[in-house]
Amino acid sequence: MIKTLSKQRLLTIDSGQSVVFFEKQLAPKTQITIAKNAHVKHYRLHEMTDHSLFVRLEDNASYELITLHRGDGNLTLYFDLSGKNAFCQSNIVYVLSENKNTLIHCDVHHNADDTVSRQFVKGAVCANAKAVFQGGIFIPYNKKGIDGMQQHRALLLGKNACAQAVPQLEIYADDVKCAHGSAIGFLDQEQMFYLQSRGLDEEQARTLLTTAFLNEILDDIEDDEVREELKSLALEEVCHGN
Amino acid sequence: MSAWLKIKDLCVKVADKPILNDLSLSINAGEVHVIMGPNGCGKSTLSNVLCGNQNYEVTGGFIDFKDKNLLEMNVEERACAGIFLAFQHPVEIPGVSMATFMKYALNARRKAQGKQELDAVSFIKRIKVRAQALGISDEMLKRPVNVGFSGGEKKRLEIFQMAVLEPDFCILDEMDSGLDVDAVKVAGNGVKIMRSEQRSFLVISHNIRFLKEQIQPDKIHVMVHGRIVAQGGMELLDEIDKNGFSAFLKEAVA
Ligand SMILES: Nc1ncnc2c1ncn2[C@@H]1O[C@H](COP(=O)(O)OP(=O)(O)OP(=O)(O)O)[C@@H](O)[C@H]1O
Ligand SMILES: [Mg+2]
Repeated sequence: MIKTLSKQRLLTIDSGQSVVFFEKQLAPKTQITIAKNAHVKHYRLHEMTDHSLFVRLEDNASYELITLHRGDGNLTLYFDLSGKNAFCQSNIVYVLSENKNTLIHCDVHHNADDTVSRQFVKGAVCANAKAVFQGGIFIPYNKKGIDGMQQHRALLLGKNACAQAVPQLEIYADDVKCAHGSAIGFLDQEQMFYLQSRGLDEEQARTLLTTAFLNEILDDIEDDEVREELKSLALEEVCHGN
Repeated sequence: MSAWLKIKDLCVKVADKPILNDLSLSINAGEVHVIMGPNGCGKSTLSNVLCGNQNYEVTGGFIDFKDKNLLEMNVEERACAGIFLAFQHPVEIPGVSMATFMKYALNARRKAQGKQELDAVSFIKRIKVRAQALGISDEMLKRPVNVGFSGGEKKRLEIFQMAVLEPDFCILDEMDSGLDVDAVKVAGNGVKIMRSEQRSFLVISHNIRFLKEQIQPDKIHVMVHGRIVAQGGMELLDEIDKNGFSAFLKEAVA
């Protein structure tokens, strides 16, 4: 069942269902409820200004997101693991060219026992672009068996490119496994030299290394067409940004 | 015969430390030369400088390759001019397969030569034939460059790249080290097959038997403290085998 209002898209995945969907034209706001035992794989392209996504998971539900963000604006993600045993994987690739400026804000709320969250974010920031990643994991008091993981990595490709990670961990429970990390850096000069010593020019070497870096996430898209489309859109933005 | 590679009075610094001091060397078309020298004398430094690695600062002297000033060329221009280094320590490139890498590299060289890009079928054929000869499986070509390969496998993949790209000037920096007995023969054979009037080699190795049996060089250079202190034929190999580098070290100090 899909309801499209002017500003909001509301989706409910009924219990026991398994769906895969690819969303390209985003409404400013999307809200998804995944009922008990339902499983969702969600691929999306974010190219607009501001967008927010809210996902609520009930018991035993799972949600796996892979999103390519190349918009000039903010992306807000909010995951509410409200049912026992819910699993949420939210992987994000962002590529920003020119003067694009983005704030990616992501909150994962472990509001039930035995919930698991995984988040892997990789970005390439070109030219004069600027990215801020704010990743939060929230585990309330008294929750048990929680397992959360968040990794952020960004490559700075432009002279004035800038990236920043602001983690926010609020853990009030004891029975918790929670790992997070961020690494922001430049392309490896030894790798660049190796590729160029075989004849690739600087731009080819840079593009090859950057897309290899980003494709680690995009390669997990199971649908061939969607995967190739998102990979080529990421590549386009990388080339455009150089 | 005019020299292809002419190095004259080359001085190189790394991290502000002088490594090569007034090094001179020339290699003619079709010749195979060897550099031997104690650990840390500057052999890998020289191979990196020949390829244009910016971490090495050239503070004096010149390098000509085929009558062009090599030092004015950037890394990829040197590669496209036919210079190839089989690295002592090849770097890992996660996410890029060997096959993809070779397609880019081969087409870059062809473009520089004014040739058309290879079509997919000819490309596959070209890499498969060479992979087979070197005992490299299809699976190895699909894996990311150097990631998770054993030391010997990495060396074999360097030789494979040389065979695919067919460069004019091959620098082999300890390509035999870490190879098992059979692989050393395969590597040596690779060099033998590729030897031609229009291809020169600069081989760096510590393995005298490998040099004598597999490489059979035209000339040996002994490098000590960043300088060539002796040159000669195969007889130098026997001398080094017997006495090590001590005699040359004394000369270098004197
Ligand atoms: N990036 C670097 N920073 C600092 N010192 C360096 C660097 N690269 C090389 N050196 C130094 O330069 C010297 C020469 O090193 P090089 O690798 O050229 O030796 P080599 O002759 O190839 O030795 P080996 O036989 O062990 O391979 C060594 O003392 C080494 O420590
Ligand atoms: Mg060395």
